[in-house]
Amino acid sequence: MGKKIGVFVCHCGTNISATVDVEKVAEEAKKNNPGVAYTTTYKYMCSDPGQKLLRDKIKEEGLDGVVVAACSPKMHEHTFRNAAVKTGLNPYHVEISNLREQCSWVHPDKPTGTEKSIDLVRMMTEKTRKDRSLTPIKVPVTKRALVIGGGIAGIQAALDIADGGHEVIMVEREASIGGHMAQLSETFPTLDCSQCIMTPKMVELAQHDNIKLYTWSEIEAVDGYIGNFDVKIRKKARSVDLDLCTGCSSCWQVCPCKKIKSEFDMGLGNRTAIYIPFPQAIPSKPVIDRENCILFKDARKKNIPPNDSKVCRKCIDACPIAPVKAIDYSQEDEIVTEKVGAIIVATGFKELDDTSMYGEYGGGKYKDVITGLQFERLASASGPTEGKIERPSDGKEPEIVVFIQCVGSRDPAKGCSYCSKTCCMYTAKHTMLYKHKVHDGHAFVFYIDIRCAGKDYEEFSQRAIEEEGATYLRGRVSRIYKKGDKLVVLGADTLTGSVVEIEADMVVLASAMKAQDDAEKFAQKLSIQYNKDKFFSEMHPKLKPVESSSAAILLAGTCQGPKDIPETVAQAGAAASKVLALLSADELEREPVVAKVDRLPPPVFSTCIGCFYCQRVCPYGAIEEEDIKARDGSVIKTVARVNEGLCQGCGLCAATCRSKSVELAGFNDEQVYAEINSVEFN
Amino acid sequence: MIEELRKKAEELLRSDTVKVVFGYGEGSTPERTRPVFITKPEDVNKLTWNKYCVYNLTTYLKRQETRKLGKPAIIVKGCDAKTIIVLLKECQIKREDVYVLGVTCDGVGEPLATKCKACDVNTPRIYDDLVGEKIENKEIPFDERYAELDEYEKLSEKEKWDFWQKQFAKCIKCYACSSICPLCFCDRCIVDKNQPQWIDPSAHPRGNLSWNVTRAYHLAGRCINCEECQRVCPVDIPLNLLNKKLAKETEKNFKYRSGYNIDDELAMSTYKEEDNQDFFK
Repeated sequence: MGKKIGVFVCHCGTNISATVDVEKVAEEAKKNNPGVAYTTTYKYMCSDPGQKLLRDKIKEEGLDGVVVAACSPKMHEHTFRNAAVKTGLNPYHVEISNLREQCSWVHPDKPTGTEKSIDLVRMMTEKTRKDRSLTPIKVPVTKRALVIGGGIAGIQAALDIADGGHEVIMVEREASIGGHMAQLSETFPTLDCSQCIMTPKMVELAQHDNIKLYTWSEIEAVDGYIGNFDVKIRKKARSVDLDLCTGCSSCWQVCPCKKIKSEFDMGLGNRTAIYIPFPQAIPSKPVIDRENCILFKDARKKNIPPNDSKVCRKCIDACPIAPVKAIDYSQEDEIVTEKVGAIIVATGFKELDDTSMYGEYGGGKYKDVITGLQFERLASASGPTEGKIERPSDGKEPEIVVFIQCVGSRDPAKGCSYCSKTCCMYTAKHTMLYKHKVHDGHAFVFYIDIRCAGKDYEEFSQRAIEEEGATYLRGRVSRIYKKGDKLVVLGADTLTGSVVEIEADMVVLASAMKAQDDAEKFAQKLSIQYNKDKFFSEMHPKLKPVESSSAAILLAGTCQGPKDIPETVAQAGAAASKVLALLSADELEREPVVAKVDRLPPPVFSTCIGCFYCQRVCPYGAIEEEDIKARDGSVIKTVARVNEGLCQGCGLCAATCRSKSVELAGFNDEQVYAEINSVEFN
Repeated sequence: MIEELRKKAEELLRSDTVKVVFGYGEGSTPERTRPVFITKPEDVNKLTWNKYCVYNLTTYLKRQETRKLGKPAIIVKGCDAKTIIVLLKECQIKREDVYVLGVTCDGVGEPLATKCKACDVNTPRIYDDLVGEKIENKEIPFDERYAELDEYEKLSEKEKWDFWQKQFAKCIKCYACSSICPLCFCDRCIVDKNQPQWIDPSAHPRGNLSWNVTRAYHLAGRCINCEECQRVCPVDIPLNLLNKKLAKETEKNFKYRSGYNIDDELAMSTYKEEDNQDFFK
C-alpha cells in the first residue's frame, strides 16, 4: 500500500506568501496525486500552534509521510522531524521543501514563484514516498577536550572545561601562552591592566590538574569524528628540556645575539636568540630561535649537527643544571598523538601588518608611523620603553599624535570589507593612555564613524573626547609625508568641509584584525568552513554561533571574526559549555544520514569493484578497505566500506561511484530518481 | 622477434613464474590475429607478432574466465601498457600478480590504425621484460596528438548534437564497447541496475543517448584511447571521438594523461589547489 502523505505549506509570515500563492501550491499538491491525503497552509509552521497542527494531523489523518514546504531544511528540518517523533512517526519520513531561500526570496513575481513551488513540492512528495525509516547511530565519547590556541579565548575555554571535571589538552604554537591579550597595556572600558587580569589566568591554567599544556607545538593532523578524534601534535624542537629547566635566566643573559626584533614587542624592542617571549611567560622557560642563533646558523652553513658546532656554546655553558644540562641543541621535533572527544579552535587573529600597501601613509617606511599593537607595547609597563610614550625614531616624547581609524578595515579596495569592531574603542583608549602620560600632548583622531556599541563603551569614547580632550575629526587622511622630524598629516574634516593639516610627531594606525596567515590551510586540516576573509565560519550566524561546520569542533574568539575581550571570553565560555554537554554523555547519537556500500549474497558479495575512487574523494577519510574472505581465509574481493562514525553524509562517494554501489541513506538512488522523474521538462 | 617472444614465454612458463601467457596467435586469414592463452611451454609456437596485432589484450585481465587461469604474463604494446598503469592505480591488479611482457612497436593495422598516427609510446612505459629493439619514444606536441579532433571541433554546438543524435540512433545496445573495454571492469554495470533504471535498456534514442554519454563519462580521465570500443562497434559509431575529446579536456584542464605516468594522481579523484577552477562563477 502506498504512503499517506500530508503536505503543510507555510506562509512564513509573508516571506513565502508574498511571492508564492501558497493556497494554490497546497491545492496542486493534492491534484492527480492519490498519495497525498491531506494538505493545508499555515502562517507560521515552526510556531508552537504550527507544530501542533502537524502533530494533530499526523494522528488524525494517519499520515506516514510529511512534506513541510517552508524555509531551508538547515533552519527547521530538525524542528519538524522532532515534532513528528512525538507522534511516533520515524523522523526520516518528514521532508522539507524549501520554498523560501530557493524560491520566494529569489523570484520576483508570483506566477513564477508559484509554478516553481508546485514543482518543488511535487518533487519532495515523490521523494517522501520512497523514504525509509532510519535510526540514529550511536558513537562512544572520549571524555577529553582539545583546545587549540592559548590566548584569552583558549585559556577561558580550557579553564571552564577543566573546572567541569574533564581533561583538557591545550596546544599553543608560540613558546608561551597568553596570545595578543598579554601584549595589551590597559583594556577598555575600565582601563585595568591587561597583564594584571591575564597572568593570573595563565598561572591558573598551568597549575590546573586537568590541563595538559603543549607550548611551542602545532597541530599536525586531526583524524576521527565527533567524540573520537585522534590528534597528531608536532612538538617543535625547543632545544630546552622543559622538565630540567628551572627558568633561571642564566642562558638568555649570556646570549650574544641581542639584536633580534622581539615579536612580542611588535619589533619595537629586542630579544636574544635563546629567550622567553616576555617576563610573565608560561612556561617561564626559554626556547632557542634556531633561525637566528649563531650556533645553528653555523651548523647549517657547514652542514654539521648543531652539537658539533663550536661557534658559540655560551648558553649551555651558563646552564647551571647538572649533570645533564637543560639545553639540548640536538633536540628534534616530536609527534605525539592525543585522543579527544571535542575540539575548540581558538587560534586568534593577526594584526594587519602590511602597511606598505598604504603608500599614502608612508607605505611602512616612516618609523614613527606605528600600528595599534605597537602603541600597546609602547604604553605597556612591561614594554620596550617601560610604559613611556617615546617615538621609535629618536625616543622623543611626541607632543602631537595623530590616530587614524579604519586602516585596512572597511576598505574593500585595499584591505578588508568588514569592520574590525575593536579599533574605535582601542583608539579612544590610546588617546587616554597618551594623555595620561603626556599631559600637555595633543591627540587627534581621524574616523569614519565611531562605533562603540557595548556596555559602557559609548560613555568611554565620550570621556576620551570630553574629559581627556582628544580631538576627533570625521574624515580620511589623504597623505602623510615627512617634513624635518615631523610627520605632516593631510586630511579632511568632512563635518566642517575643510582640509586639515597637522604636523605630528607620531601617527598610530588603527590596523585591521585579520585572519591568521595560515587560517585557510588550518581550516582544511580540520575540515571546517571559512569565509572569504578566511575567518572560520560558524554553523549558523544566529542560532549556532560557536559551532563550526564539523560536529564537535567549536569556535572561540577572533579566529571566527573580529571581537573584543569581553565578547571573546563569552564565546569561549559558550564553546566550553557545548563541549561539557557533549562530554557529559557516555554515548552520542548522530544523524544516520551516512553512505553505505552495498553487500549482496554470494557470488557477488558487493557490486563494489574496489577502485577506491570514493576513498580518494572522501573529505573525511571515512572510506575503509574491507577484504571479503572465503571460509579458508583467502581474499575473494577487496571492497570499500564506510566508517559511519566518520561519514558526514556529503554524498561525494555516491556521486563518484560508477557502478552505483554506494548509497547515501535518506538520499538513496530511488529517492533521487523519484524526485527527478517528477519534474515535467518542457 | 617472434622467436624471442616465444623463448621468453617458454622460460616464464617453465620456471613457473606465470601460469599463462596472454598473447597474439595467427588468425583465420593472414590479415587477422586472435588472442591465445598459452598454459603449456610446448604450445609457445602458437604465439605470433605482426602488424595485425591491433587489439589490446589487457581486457582479459578483467575477465573472470581468464583470471581463473592464474598469474598471467601479458604481451603489451606501448599503448596497451597504459591500461596496466590505470588498472594498477585503480586497484584492479597488483603489480606482483601480473608479468608485463612489453613489445616495441612502430605501428599496427593496415592501413595504419588512427591510434598509431601520433604514437609516443613505441616502447612501453611499464614492463617487466622487453622484446624487440628499444625505440626512443618521441615527444609529440599536444595539438598533434589530438589532431583527429580538428574537424569535429569545428562543428557548432547544434551540429555536434545532430551528429551524435545520428550516430547514436544506430546503436543497438549490444554493449560490445563496454565488453571489450579493459577499463569497463564493474561487476555490475550501471546499465544493469534496474532499481531505479537509470538507463533505458531498449534501443530507444533516449536510452541510446544516456548509455553512450554515460559510458563516455565513466571513461573520462581514464580512457587510454586504445580504440577498441570503436573497432568492435558493429554499427561503426565513432566512439573514440568522444573518448579522445574527454581525454583532451582532461589534459588541458588537469595536465593529466591517463596511463602515462604511474606516479601521477588520478585526475578525476584528486583535488589539487592549482586545478582550473574557472567554472566557479
